[in-house]
Amino acid sequence: MDASYLDLVMAQQEESFEEATGGGGLWVVGDLVGGEIAPVTLEAIGAARSLADSLGAYVYAILLGVNVTEHAYLLYQAGADSVRVANDPALERFAVEPHVEILGALFEEEEPEIVLLGATKTGEALAPRLAQRMDGGLIEHVTAVKLDEMTRAVEAAFPVYGGEYFEIRACREARPQLLTIEPGAFAQPFLDEYRQGDPTLLDVDMAAPGVRFVGPAQGFRPPEEPLSEATVVVAAGRQAGDLALVEALANRLDAHLAGDRGAWDAGLVDAGHMVDVRGVSIAPQVYVAVGIRGDTFHNGAMEDASFIVAIHPDPSAPIFELADLCVQADPEAFLPELLAALS
Amino acid sequence: MRSLVILRRVLDPAGIVAHRRLRRIFVNRERYLIEPADHCALEAALRIKDAVGGNVVVASGQPEPDEDTLRRGVAMGADRGVYLCGERFEEADDAVVARALRAVIHELGAIDLVIAGATTLDTGQGQLGGRLAELLGWPHISGALSAEPGDGRVRTVCRRGSDYIIVEADLPAVVLMAPGALKPRYPDGVRLINVYRGNGGMEGVVERWKVDEHLSLTETSPLLELIGRDFPPERERGELIEGTLDDVARTVAEALRSRLRV
Repeated sequence: MDASYLDLVMAQQEESFEEATGGGGLWVVGDLVGGEIAPVTLEAIGAARSLADSLGAYVYAILLGVNVTEHAYLLYQAGADSVRVANDPALERFAVEPHVEILGALFEEEEPEIVLLGATKTGEALAPRLAQRMDGGLIEHVTAVKLDEMTRAVEAAFPVYGGEYFEIRACREARPQLLTIEPGAFAQPFLDEYRQGDPTLLDVDMAAPGVRFVGPAQGFRPPEEPLSEATVVVAAGRQAGDLALVEALANRLDAHLAGDRGAWDAGLVDAGHMVDVRGVSIAPQVYVAVGIRGDTFHNGAMEDASFIVAIHPDPSAPIFELADLCVQADPEAFLPELLAALS
Repeated sequence: MRSLVILRRVLDPAGIVAHRRLRRIFVNRERYLIEPADHCALEAALRIKDAVGGNVVVASGQPEPDEDTLRRGVAMGADRGVYLCGERFEEADDAVVARALRAVIHELGAIDLVIAGATTLDTGQGQLGGRLAELLGWPHISGALSAEPGDGRVRTVCRRGSDYIIVEADLPAVVLMAPGALKPRYPDGVRLINVYRGNGGMEGVVERWKVDEHLSLTETSPLLELIGRDFPPERERGELIEGTLDDVARTVAEALRSRLRV
């Protein structure tokens, strides 16, 4: 059979399918971190691919930036059927308005059914404005999706109170349905090296950014959040060893540094940072206890933490009965390894 | 300088228990807090008022009955409150609230700055401010740690990675404050009593604004529908990680990464 005839038939089928579904498929807005494609973009393409296969739709990816065409191959390999790129020096520093103008104009023409973005700073700034411009529904920080094939609506779950439970919401009627995908929540897709394509270059009209970068804020120190409201806490105890390592871990996790009664006795922390029923009771999303044995007063003040990691050399330490992950090791030996694994 | 602050409330997480095995949520103590990020937004607006004068209006940003939140806002120093209510507003999502707030802003007129929280404590959803900015056609700054107006602009400090940068936007603008950005002041005790009793010129300081009278049926139709709730598997405590220090460190790092964006 003549291959060009086959191409023509397939193109006609594709056109009639798009007319029937009234939608331009699933679109993933790519995110760049340090000049590379952000892992969450690939995860979003993977999620879009599985939804698209159920819906019988195509996956499109779009990348905005400077010299981003070279990254398009990765989006094809991850599962995109078509990639659009816009290269402009004005897109080097992220600004909401130019991105919304470009994406808004493109989506007005393409009428996407579903749009996925990463739940990154960029995605969180873009998604609400884009959703409002397109009159679409937006669900943020999505960690799982399920398709209602009757209505073609995505039922999306997102964490409440840091993952204590999940709410599931759907946008039944309005289109597009926009989702911001929580980094790490979806599996990285298999990169198929045989999937290839040529990206389409977009001609863009640049809008002036509404927010201007002035310069670095030299010497700015934000007020310290009270320990009781902290979402991540690293606490040291008598067996913590080198406090500098504990501080380094707290900095790495962007956490509050605290201690138990033993650390307070040793003068390592003040009373406002003592995790104890006689000090401060906390319920952070993550609590890392370094060298804390875990007496009743300490455990009573932190047992509501959503996720607890305990590092202690004694396997019979009571903190291990509370912890989700128990590391039986000397903190001084373990923390350098953990810091290396986190970097 | 005339600012509008969006105030929402949230159930105190210390009072609720999500029972994973029974797949139910138990509210042991029904206590509401002002959304931490919205609280910072109000503090930012009050600091602007202290510095350059003007007035501050607080408006509710959710369909729940939260007149008390607005009263606390007024007791902290806001000049008046606008309480959004109405039968069709009871099921409102952020898209509907944004439309209602746009109508409020148009009715009030001459608002220079809208300040709200960038995110919510419970669901982490942060679309209200962005949607409102788009409806108004104003620039918006998200994750601000401070807000200082001057020369027809608002200048803020924002965090980018581990650095802090200064960004600015022309007024009118929407500024979304990061939680913990500022330490909110306490409400004035006498003012709080007066707000509740309507004494000392505080009568009708929180006005009821009926959404149904200002928005059409289409405009009050929510875009999102709550399907249900799901619970993570029951917690298995006391899992000792076996292996070399290197293996254990990788396992812990992976677990921390999956919960935090590090």
